[in-house]
Amino acid sequence: MIYIGAEVIVSPLGDNAEANWQALSENRTGIALVPRIGFGGEDIYLSKIPGLNGPLRFQQLIGKALSALSRQIDTSILSSGKTIVLISSTKGALDDSLHDQFGETCAAIMRQFKLAHLPIVISNACISGVLTLNVAGNMVQAGQYEHVIVIGCDVASDFVLYGFQSLFAVSDKPCAPFDAARNGITLGEGCGAALISSSKSVFQNAPLELLTGTSANDANHISGPSRTGEGLVRSVGRTMRKYGTGTEEIDFICAHGTGTVFNDEMEAIAFDRLSLSDKPLNSLKGYFGHTLGAAGVIETAVCMQMIRNGMLIKSEGYRNAGTSRPLNIILENEPKMLRAILKTASGFGGGNASLMIRDL
Amino acid sequence: MKVITAYCNLRADECLVNGDVVARRDAGSEDSWFKQIYRQQELGYPKFYKMDVLSQAGYLASELIKRADPDISATYADDEIALVFANASSSAETDRRFMQTYEAGGSPSPSLFVYTLPNIVLGEIAIVNKWYGENMFAVLPKFAPGFYLDYGQILLASGSRALLCGWLEVTANSTDVFLFMVEERESGTEFNSENLLHLSQATSVGTF
Repeated sequence: MIYIGAEVIVSPLGDNAEANWQALSENRTGIALVPRIGFGGEDIYLSKIPGLNGPLRFQQLIGKALSALSRQIDTSILSSGKTIVLISSTKGALDDSLHDQFGETCAAIMRQFKLAHLPIVISNACISGVLTLNVAGNMVQAGQYEHVIVIGCDVASDFVLYGFQSLFAVSDKPCAPFDAARNGITLGEGCGAALISSSKSVFQNAPLELLTGTSANDANHISGPSRTGEGLVRSVGRTMRKYGTGTEEIDFICAHGTGTVFNDEMEAIAFDRLSLSDKPLNSLKGYFGHTLGAAGVIETAVCMQMIRNGMLIKSEGYRNAGTSRPLNIILENEPKMLRAILKTASGFGGGNASLMIRDL
Repeated sequence: MKVITAYCNLRADECLVNGDVVARRDAGSEDSWFKQIYRQQELGYPKFYKMDVLSQAGYLASELIKRADPDISATYADDEIALVFANASSSAETDRRFMQTYEAGGSPSPSLFVYTLPNIVLGEIAIVNKWYGENMFAVLPKFAPGFYLDYGQILLASGSRALLCGWLEVTANSTDVFLFMVEERESGTEFNSENLLHLSQATSVGTF
């Protein structure tokens, strides 16, 4: 069995999973209006971490998350040769060094935490986080490592904001995933982390089970979602078949839900094709914004907190149905025993990825 | 056994397929080196001209590998070929060009922005071939055979039947591209560390 636990979330809502959970259970959002930061001097909604400024923000966040994670595990595994760190990110330390967006950070983290191996960076746009958790689980399953620490991190930058503005993809309100009036994404920054291990005893708190999934390309467009949801259907279908999981066993779906018209429509089509439209579903982008390479890890960590706390969290920003196929979007927080959850992600480059987490 | 069935090296001045030079750079040409290869090889995919350098390199090398190993598409289902790519500098060259569009007093270019992620090349190759399989892009300090061997082993044990792997480092000053196909065969160049290191450094053995 592959265990996952010791989850960490660093976001505007707090520096650890518990503080973030507290905020989510009160439906507080990290998104706020930031004056004059747009390319044309516009005010822009952003989920930005207060006090995270200056150089080496990427490295600071990763260090903070890894420190928080190390307090929840048997610390001797951190420097073990049987442990590796995987970093999921899109733009890394771009603001520090255009030509070395990851190398110096990896070297510094290795020194600081006395890691036995240099961390490996996985950069697959918005599916990076879910994909990296899958890679981690597969590495443990194959016996290549006993423990894999996954850290998903991206920091806010003019580069990414201006880019999404150039695509007219930035929402003029806090993003509203799956809502009829949604009109784009809200960017965010943050860091999520978790330990994936073959050993239950290295976790201080009881871990959950990671059911690693598969990825599938849409083979359709590099920056536009598929009209048929083909890649997402294939990814989720393969993931569920891998374990013989029936639709009746899924208690909740944590969707990607960026808040763009076409992404959310694509997901609704895919979940309909998968006969999963009646499952309680949310997008967490209304709380954290779109944290890109960190999103899949942060959102999986929230799923783990939802299982631990027995609570469905409402999909922030959603009011009225806005997709051609119906979805069962969570309107209010609701206590519920969650046995198995499905997490999905889709992104630029046509990638789709999925995984499942099961309570033990 | 798993063997390397075809490979392509793309360098600053020459392009090799299975160790044979198939194109040499014409320093006098007004075309970029990648456009020269595209024309010389008579490839017909106009979207090539819109791609950034990483995607152009990945497209060219994967098309040349398909020519050398023409049964690929017929042998495998559309989701059985996994793409496993890596490089050292992510999409830095395109990132730099995108930054120039907004720092020089102009506006950020959406057509450049969509290429400012290293995994876009995987999407381009998937689109050309209608491949729906597994994709992964890693950023590593240098070409590391162990990365491909380790993750390739995982993919081949979990549904993928073949791998198209690549090291794709294209910057303003250097071109170091090595793509290779891994398939199950009874004999051939074994998919191992020594062979990968050797083939990644391949020098021309044939004549132009």
